[in-house]
Amino acid sequence: MIEYDSVTKIFGAGKTAVTATDGVNFTIEEGETAVFLGPSGCGKTTLLRMTNRLESVTRGSIRVQGRDIMEMNVQQLRLGMGYVIQQIGLFPNKTIAGNIAVVPRMLKWDKRRIEERTDELLRIVKLDPEIYRDRYPVELSGGQQQRVGVARALAADPDILLMDEPFGAIDPINRHQIQDEFLKLQGQLKKTIAFVSHDIHEAIKMADKIAIFKDGKLVQYDTPEIILMRPANKFVSDFVGADRALKVLGLLRVRDAMNREPRNVVQSDVMAEEALRFLEGNNFRNLIVLRENRVLGFVTRRHLKYEQGKVEDFAEKFPEELAPREPLRDALSAMLMHDLMSFPVLDDNGAFAGTISYRYIQRSILELYSESQDD
Amino acid sequence: MNLLIFLQDNLSTALFLTWEHLWMVGLSLFIAIITGVPIGILITKNRQLAQKVIGGANVIMTIPSIALFGLMLPLLAVFGHGLGKVPAIIALVLYSELPIIRNTFIAIKNVDPAMVDAGRGMGMTKWQLLREVEIPLAIPVIIAGLRTAAVMIIGIAAIAAYVGAGGLGVFIQQGIARSHESMVLAGALGVSLLAVVVDLFMGFLERRLTPKGVKA
Repeated sequence: MIEYDSVTKIFGAGKTAVTATDGVNFTIEEGETAVFLGPSGCGKTTLLRMTNRLESVTRGSIRVQGRDIMEMNVQQLRLGMGYVIQQIGLFPNKTIAGNIAVVPRMLKWDKRRIEERTDELLRIVKLDPEIYRDRYPVELSGGQQQRVGVARALAADPDILLMDEPFGAIDPINRHQIQDEFLKLQGQLKKTIAFVSHDIHEAIKMADKIAIFKDGKLVQYDTPEIILMRPANKFVSDFVGADRALKVLGLLRVRDAMNREPRNVVQSDVMAEEALRFLEGNNFRNLIVLRENRVLGFVTRRHLKYEQGKVEDFAEKFPEELAPREPLRDALSAMLMHDLMSFPVLDDNGAFAGTISYRYIQRSILELYSESQDD
Repeated sequence: MNLLIFLQDNLSTALFLTWEHLWMVGLSLFIAIITGVPIGILITKNRQLAQKVIGGANVIMTIPSIALFGLMLPLLAVFGHGLGKVPAIIALVLYSELPIIRNTFIAIKNVDPAMVDAGRGMGMTKWQLLREVEIPLAIPVIIAGLRTAAVMIIGIAAIAAYVGAGGLGVFIQQGIARSHESMVLAGALGVSLLAVVVDLFMGFLERRLTPKGVKA
């Protein structure tokens, strides 16, 4: 847990004094990722650098795991926090293994343990230890270097990670990949993370909570959903962008909006005539054809009219099927692309789990919006 | 031809003077390293001090060597060392300081701030950072400074013969006094050859000591 208590930082003195952060109050809960977001010069990096005392605190206090950082030995404080920076900062004179081993060596681990840990970390960040262990940073691409940067920060398994625009200097394709991998990793590790970013998309993706700063002041500290649906003021709404409803779609998953008990289903051996009556009687647009809980396809009025025999003979295959963990944005995209108003959702075993339709997507957005209005 | 005959007749003297020359230069360089490198590192922490130290070393460089020997003569005479190896080595050390201090200073200053930031952020002490990162990264530039100093003081050491320090300068000095052309040539060529050989050796050292990951 990291607690910021009226943290103020003033650079310089007298007329040239600049207030970098101004009475900042908030808490990063255990195991959560807080993204510090804002335009350059808003104080987000300064706040991060105060957390490991690379900058001093002018007024106020910062507590890490309940202890005031000013009362801790500065080396001890830093050894207990992983630190990843945008410029990566790998030591070019050390091998990859040597870079990862920096903190364990300072903690006086024995050689064997360091070697094992190094290989383990390389595997975690998806670099083959056999290939990369003894290479030098110059021999690696930017993305690979930052993977090592992350591994180095995790070396001694610190509870806290400080990340200063860690993926900012990596090309977009690699950045998305490394973000995804890091999210997955964080899902297992549950570190307490302070993460500086200037990219709203990255913030939405990585954050449990987003802290938005302007001119050194904390403007809003909330979950990405609330930041998007209920920005505290015009600054925040401008910052998150006019397409914030669409951004929420990137955040919500199919499972958050799906209809788990759709009524427009029909078993494969039902006769077409009966199915048509069911369809028309309920005013459904289509029926999903199932056999042993597997989706065969769908039938509409057009498929069934004047036909005889089982519905399975007329079922048209869905062009795409969705998984519960996919973002709603992808579901909506599929609907627009294939001109279909609903899609089946399949669980990990491929069994039918429900449907997702435009109406349900809209409803989940509206729900979120009104929920936050009630706060 | 005369030169070869001269060398043939004076081989042992020539070898001894070369050895004496090299020995003076080596010792001076050693003293300059153990003083200059720490000074160069120390002044990276203080900009004003850095300006003064480098400025001072610059001033020393501008004093002609013969004048420096002259200036030291009365001072060292107090201790009974006005002539001989002592003033020579002091002068050579002083001349070496500028390239060594300046290169060390610049090399440490030029270490990527991101690395220093990463190191500090991970909990390295100043000393650990210096030992594990800054100095290894600065090594090539520091050795380049040593190389400059070495070649330069090999030349200056030839003049030290005038204060009785020995070395290959003896051939030059005596050769001029006696208008012995081959003798002057032997001294001059010896000094040049020494400079070339030492320069090559230092180049080799520079490549060997550059950390592997830093080589382009």
